[in-house]
Amino acid sequence: MKIAVCIKQVASTNGPLQLDVGAGWLREADTAFETNAADSHALEAGLAIRDRLGGEVLVVSLGPDRVTAVLRDALAKGAERAIHVVREDAHKLDPAQVAEALAAVLREEGCELILCGLQSDDVGHGQTGALLAECLGWPLVGIVAALEVETPHKVRARRELEAGWSQWVELPPPCVLTIQSGINKPRYAGMKGMLAAKKKPITRVEPQFAGGMRNQQVIEQIYFPHRAKQTRLLEGAPADAAAQLVALLNLRGVQ
Amino acid sequence: MQHAEPETIDAEVVIVGAGPAGLACALRLAGQVERHNREGRLPAIDPDGIFVLEKAAELGMHTLSGAVMDPRGLAELVPDFLAEGAPVECAVSSDSLYFLTAGGAYRLPHIPAQLNNQGHYLISLGRLVQWLGGKAESAGVSLFTATPASRLLIEDGRVAGVVTADQGLDRDGKPQANYQPGYVLRAKVTVLAEGARGALAKCLVNDFALDAQSNPQAYALGLKEVWEIPAGRVAAGTVWHSFGYPLAADMQGGGWMYAISEQRVSVGLVAGLHYADSGFQPHAALQRYKQHPLISTLLDGGKLLQYGAKTLAKGGYWSLPQLYAPGALLVGDAAGFLDGMRLKGVHMALKSGMLAADATYRALCAGDAMDDALAGYSTDFEASWMKQDLWRARNFHQIFQRGWLRGLVPGALDMLGARIGRERLPSRPAHDCMRPREQRPVDGGASEGRTRHDRLASVYHSATRHREDQPVHLRVHDAATCARCNRELGSPCQNFCPAGVYEWAAADQAGETGSLRVNAANCLHCKACDILDPYQNITWTPPEGGGGPRYEGM
Amino acid sequence: MSDMHGTLVIVERAAEGVSRHSLEVVAFAQALGDPVRVLFPGIPDQSTADLLQAMHVEALLTCPELEPCDVYDDDAYVEAIVRCIASLNPLHVLLPHSYTARDHAPRLAARLKVTLVSDCIAIEHDEKGFFYTRQLFQGRTHARVRVAGEGPVLVTLQAGIGRAESVARGAVAAPLTPCAIELVARAARVSAEAPFRESARNVDLTRARILVAVGRGIKSAENIALAQRLADLLGAELAASRAVCDEGWLPIERQVGSSGQTVAPALYIALGISGAVQHLVGMKGADTIVAINKDASAPIFDVADYAIVGDLFEVVPALIQALENT
Repeated sequence: MKIAVCIKQVASTNGPLQLDVGAGWLREADTAFETNAADSHALEAGLAIRDRLGGEVLVVSLGPDRVTAVLRDALAKGAERAIHVVREDAHKLDPAQVAEALAAVLREEGCELILCGLQSDDVGHGQTGALLAECLGWPLVGIVAALEVETPHKVRARRELEAGWSQWVELPPPCVLTIQSGINKPRYAGMKGMLAAKKKPITRVEPQFAGGMRNQQVIEQIYFPHRAKQTRLLEGAPADAAAQLVALLNLRGVQ
Repeated sequence: MQHAEPETIDAEVVIVGAGPAGLACALRLAGQVERHNREGRLPAIDPDGIFVLEKAAELGMHTLSGAVMDPRGLAELVPDFLAEGAPVECAVSSDSLYFLTAGGAYRLPHIPAQLNNQGHYLISLGRLVQWLGGKAESAGVSLFTATPASRLLIEDGRVAGVVTADQGLDRDGKPQANYQPGYVLRAKVTVLAEGARGALAKCLVNDFALDAQSNPQAYALGLKEVWEIPAGRVAAGTVWHSFGYPLAADMQGGGWMYAISEQRVSVGLVAGLHYADSGFQPHAALQRYKQHPLISTLLDGGKLLQYGAKTLAKGGYWSLPQLYAPGALLVGDAAGFLDGMRLKGVHMALKSGMLAADATYRALCAGDAMDDALAGYSTDFEASWMKQDLWRARNFHQIFQRGWLRGLVPGALDMLGARIGRERLPSRPAHDCMRPREQRPVDGGASEGRTRHDRLASVYHSATRHREDQPVHLRVHDAATCARCNRELGSPCQNFCPAGVYEWAAADQAGETGSLRVNAANCLHCKACDILDPYQNITWTPPEGGGGPRYEGM
Repeated sequence: MSDMHGTLVIVERAAEGVSRHSLEVVAFAQALGDPVRVLFPGIPDQSTADLLQAMHVEALLTCPELEPCDVYDDDAYVEAIVRCIASLNPLHVLLPHSYTARDHAPRLAARLKVTLVSDCIAIEHDEKGFFYTRQLFQGRTHARVRVAGEGPVLVTLQAGIGRAESVARGAVAAPLTPCAIELVARAARVSAEAPFRESARNVDLTRARILVAVGRGIKSAENIALAQRLADLLGAELAASRAVCDEGWLPIERQVGSSGQTVAPALYIALGISGAVQHLVGMKGADTIVAINKDASAPIFDVADYAIVGDLFEVVPALIQALENT
């Protein structure tokens, strides 16, 4: 089966974020980057289907030069090919533009299945998969928490709904799925994979935009939010903080 | 996915550690191999057979140094390094040496020649390493990130390569669905470039008794912060070194401030790890340093960008082990080439990597005489400028063993070249120095003052991260020993760890013993615990690949 | 086209008629100031019609073409709603940022050739025009977004954007007007089974007065016992973030957040929870929030009334001790 996985490189957020306030974005020189978490799960889902049914996994990413790192990592995990849609200021693109650029590439590829992560951990629009489906005229199943692809002719997916509800759906390829984190445990790249990846091609292309949108959104500014709440910090050793909390909230132990 | 058996990969050379020493070795060796093959020499050497293993997720993420670099080593490795785009922050523009007391700063009117930094550069070692890595890859070196080597492969009394760490084990050591066993990586030559107190280097030295003739290695712990400060306070290229406060007179070490630009400074403290006071807390000392008026006037109103810590090997010439073993070489801080008198190690690391590359190349051409060719690395070292510099500084560390105060006069004399006392002074192993002293509460409380941070806040600024559900990589061998250490010394690991990994939890009931809690996820991979644990009860092992600090340009 | 006017709210069907989140969006739209029209994607039953007609809105629209609605057909939904929007010509189209809207809204936007501002937390107006606030980096920063160009602006709004109870009531019941559109019937591309829930709901977290919630910081299944002890002492129910349920340390019915339950207890104690948006939307309505976390910059502290920056493995035992002594 020919499977494409869209991967985004996002800023790691387990350390402090360094903002470039004037530019409305991060200070990239002070930022570490990594593969978006949901996209790792999407890649693993794609690789697992390829392992089972045979075929090829193509990974695509839109962004500046640094995104080759996530493409290489995906190739090391077992994807066969990678396409890098090169765009310096990709973070300034409207979600529709991102989808158009990806669709332009994927339209040529003759894929049967396109997997995206549910949303990105940086801007978190969560629209790419759905917009991609519209651009290509394909059906969409979003927020997939479980996936069964026994043959190349039918996709069975469990979509997540509110409050713990789920729903199984079936559809024939070609289709677009957006993948929820936690659906699988992504495989590690491993040395053999990294060695093999060196021989796999990363094709660089220019983005092509279909145009025709009546409007687009722009980030004017990003900032650390002012706390609306007056948070009271309880300081001191754990025993002191605990005692303060019990007193302030008038807590009583129920035995 | 199948639960695969460990796979074997064959290489010509494996280099463990992508720091300056490892990458210099790789880059130089790649050039030699390319020329060798191009000239059609025999035996053919696989140009794709130079492997560098790095445990960090990306190059530079575990790299940390002040740093002021003597360009000598880089200029030999890459002539015209500036034209080639080497990332140098700026040239040193001024140099000062301060003596600090609790409230005062006294600038010495004269800086010893060895500390004169004219012609040197302020660098981010992390960025330099990224640049070197790019060059090495372009030259055909295979770089594997998130790939720690977990042990040496020893066969028939010879190092035959390394085994990489398993991935995908849960905290009980059981394989998860995505389990990937480590690889058996066979190589003709293994170069250990892990930095100070390298896990494999430690084993190599022990197994082959490489330190039989050496002084015990001596270490220091460096804690570094990078700050963004308002403009106009300090000129780019300003270099300050200080001694005295906040280190007690019987401690060795000092502080620094390097102005990488007008608005970005590197500040930090180096504390020699052979002190007696079991209550000493390096992290707390760093906070006091930052609050000293000399430093706080610079930092007030600024913003902490990053924090990190790493140990360095500073025993000097007499602490160097034998530099080679059958099938293996030691480079960089893993051997201990830091020049303690000049406070510089990057140029040494680069040069040692180059010398090791030369010896490795000769070994690859030498067939059965491979191990003799490897021994040539030591000969080359002895004939090099590295040896000249280290020889001059050969007793410097020992002079300061009992603290900066006692070392001042003999140290100054030593710098001036006066030979006093014996040719070779002995040194004591770090873990043997601690004595019970006044116990202070562990600095874990809330911050006071804008330049102070508590340990957890500091660790947050290292962006350190480990996958939670994996075996604990800090092996505490014997709980009874921990209890004993707690009674006698108050569990100093709680104090010296710069990341707050260790906490002694008192017993719930009277009459029971407490236990040591290990928050391995905070670990900065500095190795202080492996070095300084008074009972040598803790062994640092590499965690699952990719885990650890995520320094950017440290 | 400057005869775009007003705010169109597209509500979502739910067991109780219209989802609570949708009502929050209606309340928000009313507060925004422009005339509000509400579109129900189908034909409401009597009780839902009563609910809708009690609202203070300019118009109430239905979409008969989407009946019967017992079969999941997103293509039909998108087609029908796009035509409704086009016929109504609103300035803003607001939807709740629900699971289903996350699939539908981008497709609506694409068909209308306009942009969608998703998971928005505020819509305001200044001299330059409207601006929209979104959260970036999992809630750690905010972004001010503007829309340049023509055409309606589609927005999905985060849960808690308004208070469902504050939907203004109208003096006169607006009539229910069907949208005049025609849909070409075609086979659904996706065939769907009935929705189901993983586990029988033994625990109704929405009824608990006090919740003790654990996040990744609890580190292992064994450590849950510590939180359980605290919960027992307080007479509280145990809850969890998604990460804890994904790991299997607590059953999914204890999950609070966008894919779990939305709760508003008197007291919510968050242990080792970072406060990613997906969790916050499920609990930020609590009366009092206490957060205990090692990381002083965790987003949970933005919504906390009381904060303890520290190791929960020290603080929680201390709390337990303090409570045992009361």
